[in-house]
Amino acid sequence: MGNFVDLLRNENMKIYSRPRTWIMMGIMLVLMLASNIIAVSVGADVKSMWQVFSMQSLFGFSAIVIYAVIIAADSVAGEFSAGTIKLLMIRPWSRSKILLSKYIAIVGFALFFFAALFVWNYVLDGIFFGFSSGTVQEMLGDESARNIWGYMLSVYGLQILATTMTTITLSFLLSTVFRSGGLSIGLSLLLMFMSGTLSGIFSLIDKPWVDYLWFMNEDLTSYLLPGTYEHTLGFSIGVLAVYYIVFIAITWTVFNKRDIAS
Amino acid sequence: MSAPVVQLSNVTKRIGKRTIIDQLSLDLQPGEVYGFLGPNGSGKTTTIRMMVGLMKLSGGEITIKGHSIQTSYEKAIRQVGAIVENPEMYKYMSGYKNLIHFARMVPGITRQRIDEVVKLVGLQARIHDKVKTYSLGMRQRLGVAQAILHKPSLLILDEPTNGLDPAGIRELRDYLRKLAKDEGITVFVSSHLLSEMELMCDRVAIIQNGKLIDERVITQEGSSSDAVGKYRFEVDRPADALALLTQLSAVISQDGIELSADRETAAWINAQLVSAGIKVYGFRVQNKSLEDQFIEVTGGETIG
Repeated sequence: MGNFVDLLRNENMKIYSRPRTWIMMGIMLVLMLASNIIAVSVGADVKSMWQVFSMQSLFGFSAIVIYAVIIAADSVAGEFSAGTIKLLMIRPWSRSKILLSKYIAIVGFALFFFAALFVWNYVLDGIFFGFSSGTVQEMLGDESARNIWGYMLSVYGLQILATTMTTITLSFLLSTVFRSGGLSIGLSLLLMFMSGTLSGIFSLIDKPWVDYLWFMNEDLTSYLLPGTYEHTLGFSIGVLAVYYIVFIAITWTVFNKRDIAS
Repeated sequence: MSAPVVQLSNVTKRIGKRTIIDQLSLDLQPGEVYGFLGPNGSGKTTTIRMMVGLMKLSGGEITIKGHSIQTSYEKAIRQVGAIVENPEMYKYMSGYKNLIHFARMVPGITRQRIDEVVKLVGLQARIHDKVKTYSLGMRQRLGVAQAILHKPSLLILDEPTNGLDPAGIRELRDYLRKLAKDEGITVFVSSHLLSEMELMCDRVAIIQNGKLIDERVITQEGSSSDAVGKYRFEVDRPADALALLTQLSAVISQDGIELSADRETAAWINAQLVSAGIKVYGFRVQNKSLEDQFIEVTGGETIG
């Protein structure tokens, strides 16, 4: 009937007309600037702007993941707690499509923040440490002749893929199932921070099924580092994809089936 | 009678083992204001939630303009504008942005239509302010605005007069009646404010414990000057009055007599009583208010 793009515009309007989105953005950008100022003032030994860029990006990623959890967890649960879900659902749109518009808007939010992080860091580091064409070799100390742009874009790409497939989708699932923003934010962050510890513990267990746990495969960017790996990037993405499909299926089924009685 | 706009047939809702709505059937005609009455917990809101597809039916069927809410939801809901419980809007956006939000979800709503609706509900002065600064009455108006944006054939309002001041209630009432009369919109209003419903509705249904227990037509006042009503005469000697009016099957009630008559007859009876030397302190029509009727049929029971 209607145009799906209009649903997306609505969801975007709800995300970007709230001050919190811009506060999150401001905090992220200021943190990046602060880390540059600190690096310069302590006289850090910097080989090239890309070295700083790489470290700052890792720092920025954790901020974006937390932001994405907040937005994703609030997306459905927030409509329930505000009661607006009742007005949102009584329109000529299927529940699945309304849910899809929310999901796409959240992924768009994450992409926007990743892009802003990339551009901001590039500009800052260039200004502070001089725009240079550093090499992957001097940064990682391996023999590779990879192009620095290609490498950095791969880091961002794999990080975006991992964040979308696991963290965002999981908090969206929790948001839909529990309908409580607080609970889904808390649980998602808990699972996220524990995944490092858990993968450490589980890597001690010498059983084949351990390799198929999602948190053992979450760090896709590690495949870009020099050295040998236990599995391939394709294997990890495959494992995450299976979890992804399960998460998505549960989210949509629950949302379509349940009565809205808030 | 024309084809009903909305048809509920044997609608049933069970949650667990409890039957919340039991075999409820209603037919709503085009252009009528239909009241839906019931004590707290009787299933009014559950019924409304099923009518707008927020809750699934356990049995029975609901059709809106011939489209089943279960099988062709998008077509059915296109005909509906509703406020379910409180008019909850996105508080962090302006009223106008809220309307744009809902307008985008139905094709063909122009900016002019939004402006027209804003004017209609009288929110021009504050429409660009954030909803969190609105009073309850203003939110209610915004709620009505989003419900009528897409010119629905059925308007469902759950407790619409909640939080409105007397002027606001009157305005809403007049507006709803106008919508029903001029544009042929069927209005379905739930409430427990009986006196309000009496003034607003053409017909009312009363439900209790999820069952339809009564449905009646409300006769608007002033339309029945020659209709037969129940009159009560307050007199000093009821027994003598009764003897005088043997042919009229009157009965003695406290401080007087009661009988059925039209307006002219009542005046004639008065003259008879006075000329027979019986003192008449007053006489009036015994209009049973909807509230009396409501208490009578629901037995004054609240939550069952």
